[in-house]
Order: sequence, then structure tokens, then C-alpha cells
Amino acid sequence: MDLVLLLQRVFDALFNSAIYSSLALALVIIFRSTGLLNFAQGEMATFTAYIAFVLLSGPQPRLTGGGLAGLVPGVPFTIPLAIVGAVLCGMAVGAATERVLIRPLGGASDLALVNITIGLLLATNSLMAQWWGTGPRIFPAIFPSGAGQHFTILGARLRYSTVGVWIVLLSVLVLLIVLLRHTRTGLAFRAVSISPSNAELVGVRVGPTLMYGWAMASGFGALAACLSANSVLLEPNMMLRVLVYAFAAATLGGLDSPKGALVGGLIIGLSQTLIPAYVPFIGFELSVLPALLAMVLILLIRPAGLYGTKRIERV
Amino acid sequence: MFDRQHRPSRISVAGIVLLSVALAIIPFVATTTGLRQASQIIISVLAVLGVNVAAGYGGMISLGHGVFVGVGAFATGYYLDDLSLPWLLAIALGTLTAALSGALVGLPALRIKGIHLALVTLGMAIVFQPLSKRFPKVTGGVSGQGIEARFDAPNWWPGDSRMTSAVYRYLFCVLVVVLALWVTWNIVNSRFGRSMRALRDNDTAAAIYGVDLVSARVTTFAVSAGLAGLCGALQVLLVPFVSQDKFPAQESLVIYASAVVGGLGTIWGPVLGVIARTAVGKAGDLVAGFDGFGPMGDFFTLLDESAFVFGVGLIVLTFFFPRGLAGIGRKRQPSG
Repeated sequence: MDLVLLLQRVFDALFNSAIYSSLALALVIIFRSTGLLNFAQGEMATFTAYIAFVLLSGPQPRLTGGGLAGLVPGVPFTIPLAIVGAVLCGMAVGAATERVLIRPLGGASDLALVNITIGLLLATNSLMAQWWGTGPRIFPAIFPSGAGQHFTILGARLRYSTVGVWIVLLSVLVLLIVLLRHTRTGLAFRAVSISPSNAELVGVRVGPTLMYGWAMASGFGALAACLSANSVLLEPNMMLRVLVYAFAAATLGGLDSPKGALVGGLIIGLSQTLIPAYVPFIGFELSVLPALLAMVLILLIRPAGLYGTKRIERV
Repeated sequence: MFDRQHRPSRISVAGIVLLSVALAIIPFVATTTGLRQASQIIISVLAVLGVNVAAGYGGMISLGHGVFVGVGAFATGYYLDDLSLPWLLAIALGTLTAALSGALVGLPALRIKGIHLALVTLGMAIVFQPLSKRFPKVTGGVSGQGIEARFDAPNWWPGDSRMTSAVYRYLFCVLVVVLALWVTWNIVNSRFGRSMRALRDNDTAAAIYGVDLVSARVTTFAVSAGLAGLCGALQVLLVPFVSQDKFPAQESLVIYASAVVGGLGTIWGPVLGVIARTAVGKAGDLVAGFDGFGPMGDFFTLLDESAFVFGVGLIVLTFFFPRGLAGIGRKRQPSG
């Protein structure tokens, strides 16, 4: 086995790992606090990537779509500013979703929650196709990603963009941990995640706290979409497959464990690059199959994943 | 639920009469293309019925029934051209193949339940397209392939134009769908159907009363996948061409949405769901052709996207009519 090639593949995989980790984190934050799998997370994230794209390109009628034309600022934003705008917009969408669609349902059945998120997925997907067209768009690179833009370690190339994505992800994570540990809202959120009813009894306002959770999660989703839009091309179905990887990562790590989402994303990202490289049948396009199989196996054998809480069902 | 206390109400009798009249008129007024489209709409009831059996009666959420439609279509094409089997046998075997693949998915469903099963089946729906490109011999790879066999009217059938064959196919499809509805209705009201619903409502209690969980779950999924597969087989009959691009993940989701919008756990739900889907599509076409909305026009073109309307419809119905269109007129019952 060619060790340099292996190292190269690992470096390449790290980029995707960061994306899967952040989307998986979004899924885990919501599952942990609300107990639902947000199937629309990927589409909500893609939507914000389009927002970033609109902010970047300024007012061009065909591009912005009629519905949003009035809201677009006159001057194109710079890339970091556009991403911040998109993340804020994603957070607003997430918070609104919780407030308008999830909270009024109360503790509804699994079926109702699946219906809401699938409805949201379908609606957002065709909304994007209608406003921005189905053709792929080239999203500008955020980090220098030209031919020579890489570190060379032991003969393998580690791209600046990979390093950049990890720096962004880790710094946002640190920010998140600080917020959770050192603010009242963070404390309230941790309490609600452990037990909503107990948190309510000691005076935590559960509803608004969950809304912050959704905003946070959707912010992560938006970040994942903006960071990956350059490498996978921006189109309405962009995050559909990424969603499977992210769900596989979250399941592998344990659906209610943020640490698990990070580790799971890392493992799934690596396997997505390494398995097709050494198993010719899988190839690039089918690399989503091992992720799905891994997900099924984990749910069958160890539903709690690596770090998740084991659920004991009372019968 | 349908049982002795719930004989078909006046509304449903009126509905059945209206529907039969419409189905009888269509062959006289439609063109060959129109007739084929009508047939395609009618057979899509089968896929929705499949989801209804799994989710509505069996309590197993499936977001991936488009996969079984695909398996049915590809398998039927394979039996027709590569094995040169006659049509009826190919359709039967295609349905059976889809049912077997459904049983295979039903096995993990023994342990994976509720929202997690929804997750796995959604993954399945997303994987299906790239996976089917890997088997070009059966699926025709990326671009798909034509099927050589044709389902034409036999010699004893009066007339010999292209229209005749279209009418023949149309009637065949209507017959199959009516039969499938009747058989499903009987299944869900049989002893097996009761154990299926008992399983949905409380599997522990069902097991205590002697329901074999394993065989009931697997059989339910097989029946449900078989219905979707039958839809796929009939698709080949109407358009002798199979291709992976007919089965994107969104298709599976729209099938699921149609089942929920129509009404889960009711026999007429799938029919209502498909009627709603068709009506929404037609309304969208009308709106898209009309150009007088000014700046709001862009919002109205969204109505053209039936996926959008169904997405929104799914959310709205979940809030206001959790039992779907079929449940709107009905009195509230203790939910299962």
C-alpha cells in the first residue's frame, strides 16, 4: 500500500469530515433537545447557502429570483460578510421553524413530526428550484484553493481550505462551549436537554430555550452548507446526500451526543474517501451506500452509537 | 377504520359513483397521450396504497417507497426482455421481486422503529439512484433503456388502431388498481389486518395476545412493497422504458406525502391523495399559463411545483386534519 497516497486521501477526507461533523452537530442539537430528527436540516442549510450567494452577487434579477429581489442589498457583500449574513438568516429560519411549526404541536407523535420536517424538505427544495433554477452554480472559494495552495506534509498535500474549514469549525465549537458553560441561556439549554419537565419546574422557560437551540443548530447547518458549496457546486439538491452522511455520522456517534457527532463526522468522512478508493465497485458516486449500511447496522446492533445515552424502554 | 359500524357513508357512495363515471368517460374523450397520462395517474394510487399499508395500517413510516416502484419496474423490464416472459407473468414476478425486497427491508424494521425507520428509508431513497446506475444490464445505467416487448390489445379485442391498444391498457390498469384496492381492503380487515393494526398501536400488547411480531412486520412490509412494485410494473406496461432518473428521492417523498395528505389508515386515502396531487398539478398548469399577477407572479408559479404544494399541504394537514383528506368529514375517533 502506498503510504503517501493513503495520507493524501486522509487529508482529502478531512475536508468532508468537517462538513459532516457540523451538519451532524446541527442534527444532534435538535434531537437532543426536541427529540426529533430534522429531515429538512439539509434543505434549510442549502437555502442559506443560496442566501449567501445572493448577497455575494448583488442585484441581478434572474439570479435573485423575483420573490427576494426587493430584499437584496445594492452592493455585493464580501465573502466573510455574506457567510455571516447567511448564518444569521439560517438562525432566524431555524428559530421561526421551532416557534411556528414545532412548538404548537406540543408533544406530538413521531408521525406528525416526520410529516412536518418532510413537508419542510419538499417545500424548501422546490422553492429553491423555482427561485434559483436547478442548474448548478459556482460558489466562490472561501479559502485560497488554487493549484499551489497547500502545505506539504510527508509528501502529501494538505490544502489550505481543509485547514481553514477546521479552524472555522473548531472556533465556532469553542464559542458554543463557552456559551453553553458560561451564560444563563446556555445553562437553561443544558437543563432543557437533560429533562424538559424538570427544567420547567425550576423556572426555565422551555419554549424560548428550545428556540435558541434550533437557531444554533440551523446556524451550524448554514455554516456547513456555505463551507461546502464551493466544492460540491450550489444546487437545490446539494445537501441531500450530505444529509445521509451527516445522519450516518450522528447515528454512529450517538444521536444525542455532540462529541459523537464530531467523532462520527470524522469517521464517516474518512470512510467516504477511503472505501471507494480501495473497493472499486463502490466508486465515488455510490460512496453514500457504505454510510447508509453503517447507519442501519448501528441502529440494529447498538442504537446508542459510540457516545449516546442508552435508552431503556419500559414495557 | 372500516368495520361493521362504519358502512360506507353517503359521501363515499357518491364519491365512488362520481369516480366510476369519470373513469368510464375518460376513454371516450381523451387522446392516446391523454389516456396514457390518465393511466399513469391511476396506477400511482398503487404506490401510495403501499405506503398506506406500511405506515397507516402497520405503523411503519416509509419514506422510500419510490425504491420499490423502481425495483418493480426494473425487474419487470428484465423478465420481459432478458427472459422473454409473457406480460402477465412478468408483471406478477416483478411485483413479487419488489415484495421480496420489501421483506428484506422489513427485517431491520423489526428493531428499527418510528423516526429511525423513517431515517433509514429516506437514506434508501437517496441511495437508490446511484445504486441502480451500477447495474446497467438491468437498469440501462445512467440513460436508461427501452423495453422491446409491447402490451398490445389481443386479436379478439375490437378495433385495431393505436387508440384501441391505449384503451386496452387503460382498462387493464383500472382493473388492476380496483382489484388491488379490493384485495388490500380485505387484507386489512382480515385476522392478519387486525394483528397488523394491533402491532401499530402497541406491539408489546399485540405480542402478548399472540401476534407473531416477526412474521407480521415482515409480511406487512412485503405486501406494501409489492403494491409499489406493481405500480412500477404497470409503468413499464404504459411506457416501455426504464430509467433511474424516474426515481429520485423526492419522488419517494411525494408518494409518502400523497399517502398522508389522502389519509393514512383509510382505504380511500390513497385515491384522495392521488386526486389531490393531480388537481394541484392541473391548477398549477393553469396558474403558470396566466400572466396577470404582476410582482406576485413569482409566488404563484410555485403552485406549479406540486412538490411545493404537497410540502406545505403536509404541514397544514398535520396541524388541522391529522387524519388527512379522508378524515375531514369523519367524526373524531380515539387516535391509534
